[in-house]
Amino acid sequence: MTVRILHLFVIVGLVLAAAYVYDIKFESTLQVERVAKLRSEIRRERDAVAALRAEWSKLDSPARVQSLAQRHLQLKTLDARQIDNLANLPERPKPPLLADESDPIGALITLPDDSEALTGSAGRKTAP
Amino acid sequence: MTATLGSRLAGAKMSLIDRLLYGRDVDREAKGRARLGLAIVAFACIYAVIAGRLIHLASTADSQGARKSGGDIVATARPDILDRNGEVLATDVRMPALFGEPRRLIDVDEAVELLTATLPDLNANETRERLSSKKGFVWLKREITKDQQQQIHRLGLPGIGFLAENKRVYPNTSAVSHVIGHVNIDNQGIAGIEKWLDKNGLADLHSLGFATDRQQQPVQLSVDLRVQHAMRSELLAARQKYKAKAAAGLITDVRTGEIISMVSVPDYDPNDPKEALDKERINRLTTGVYEMGSTFKALTIAMALDSGKVTLGSSFDARNALRYGKFQINDFHAQRRILTVPEIFTYSSNIGTARMALAMGVEHHRAFLRKMGQLDRLRTEIPESAEPLVPKRWGELNTVTIAFGHGLSVAPLQAVMGISALMNGGKLIPPTFLKRTEGQANALAKQVVKPETSDRMRYLMRLNAEKGSATRADVAGYYVGGKTGTSEKVVNGRYSKTKLLNSFTAVLPADKPRFLILIMLDEPQPLPETKGYATSGWNAAPVAGLVIGRVAPLLGIEPRFDLPTADKQILAATASTR
Repeated sequence: MTVRILHLFVIVGLVLAAAYVYDIKFESTLQVERVAKLRSEIRRERDAVAALRAEWSKLDSPARVQSLAQRHLQLKTLDARQIDNLANLPERPKPPLLADESDPIGALITLPDDSEALTGSAGRKTAP
Repeated sequence: MTATLGSRLAGAKMSLIDRLLYGRDVDREAKGRARLGLAIVAFACIYAVIAGRLIHLASTADSQGARKSGGDIVATARPDILDRNGEVLATDVRMPALFGEPRRLIDVDEAVELLTATLPDLNANETRERLSSKKGFVWLKREITKDQQQQIHRLGLPGIGFLAENKRVYPNTSAVSHVIGHVNIDNQGIAGIEKWLDKNGLADLHSLGFATDRQQQPVQLSVDLRVQHAMRSELLAARQKYKAKAAAGLITDVRTGEIISMVSVPDYDPNDPKEALDKERINRLTTGVYEMGSTFKALTIAMALDSGKVTLGSSFDARNALRYGKFQINDFHAQRRILTVPEIFTYSSNIGTARMALAMGVEHHRAFLRKMGQLDRLRTEIPESAEPLVPKRWGELNTVTIAFGHGLSVAPLQAVMGISALMNGGKLIPPTFLKRTEGQANALAKQVVKPETSDRMRYLMRLNAEKGSATRADVAGYYVGGKTGTSEKVVNGRYSKTKLLNSFTAVLPADKPRFLILIMLDEPQPLPETKGYATSGWNAAPVAGLVIGRVAPLLGIEPRFDLPTADKQILAATASTR
């Protein structure tokens, strides 16, 4: 009797296993289909990229750029004297003074405190 | 009643099998046989099912397998070819191709009519003939556009279909034609680097049916597309200006042997390979052999200096023409005095170099040229190469003429390799079209002359640009050194005075050599502005100057001004270190 029950369990186990395997198989078929679809999509994309790259390098080809530049721009061939080293660049000029900074040169000049300072057009005030 | 009998009988049968297989009271042997029998029956059933399925598949394969390849690629994929900076030189683009399956076609006439209406350039008679054949598959037209494909698809003809094919595209058209070559309609390389790719395993991949997808590593060349273009546009201008038959230019890195640029005009568009068949459009730098003229004097003088018997202070008699049997060798810029070695180089004295070579001896001369790779066929990646024309019997007269570059024809690329070795410290490096590092180059290099000889040769080259025949190529800021070469072409067995082959070899910069530039003009004509001269110093040298001015910034050479003269900058500087 125990053998029979054991057999029953084994058979049930077998059926369950088969069902499980079928499920996996079904799932994997779906996945394989998805992979194939993605592959073909990737290939299409890659072909499109290649076509665009070919197009780009055609548009970017030096011969085309040169003929366009000659037609539309007034550029001349680069001369060696136009190239220089960064080290030879002169020092950047000092930035203008900020508002709250004291002006050392301005301090040297003292304006005469003339309350009735006249503009040039009025002419020099003659002494009375 | 019968049911119970039947069930009892079945029960008895079951119990018989059951007893035979599992019963305790049955003979072990019988039980074993029964179990074996059961197993045999089970396996036989399984195999019968498999066999039946196989027969079924085999008999119905036609209807299922035939269209399976539809939409697959036929012409094989090739790897992209890139320049040294990654610019695309050659790539594959998918193109639909039209085919027919005559067996499936219902009405041939209707199909032909509709197809020719959509594709006007389709030959109606030929198409009808093809579609009436008994074949399973015929090509109708390859490389049609996407729009045409749509239109034909809408016609809804049975037995007419499309396959996506890879088509090779060269976006830069003629700029690199002689380097990369081209492919035929089946995408097989038939010239240049394309053929090299096929020889190096790609063809095997194709024949095995692999390499249909775009998954291959791109091939990177040593060529720089921008330099190549600058060179080509200057050469086209020069060819027009001097009314030359052809012009060619080459730039190579003297430290690695990489070819940065190789142009030979007239050239062809690899998208239209028919042009390549024209004999005028050959690559003169590798496929042609030429007497290089005075350019060869550099090799002669290097040989003399390297032997140690001749120094820069040595002098040779150039007072009178050199008589040899019935031949008489003269100088173009005759000085009629005794010349020192630098003077021989800058005045380009035939007599001086001939005497120098004679002093070295015929055997030594030949052995030296062999060592410099000038007597054997030079092979690179590209299949086009030519064997140098070497005199069969090499006598004293041959040595005399070869000393100044006549009587020995070599491929210009070969001469460039030899002169590079004189510039880069004496290392002969085989040229390559593929990227190479300095370390790899040094592993291949062969020391052919002493480093001191190389210093002196660079001094002579620079001296020539300062006060010799190469002054018109001396672009300010780049410390150019150079040597002109004018050779008379042989016409009907005689040297012609008017048909010249001019070349100019420049080293850039002469004190720290990085690049060697060769410019060649085939039969340039004298112009009023060249004062009626057609020698190399008047045309090839200024072209080289223009090319250097354009490509030096691209090659990353920093301009330097106010450098001392050659004797201080090269001779004195190297003398202290060696």
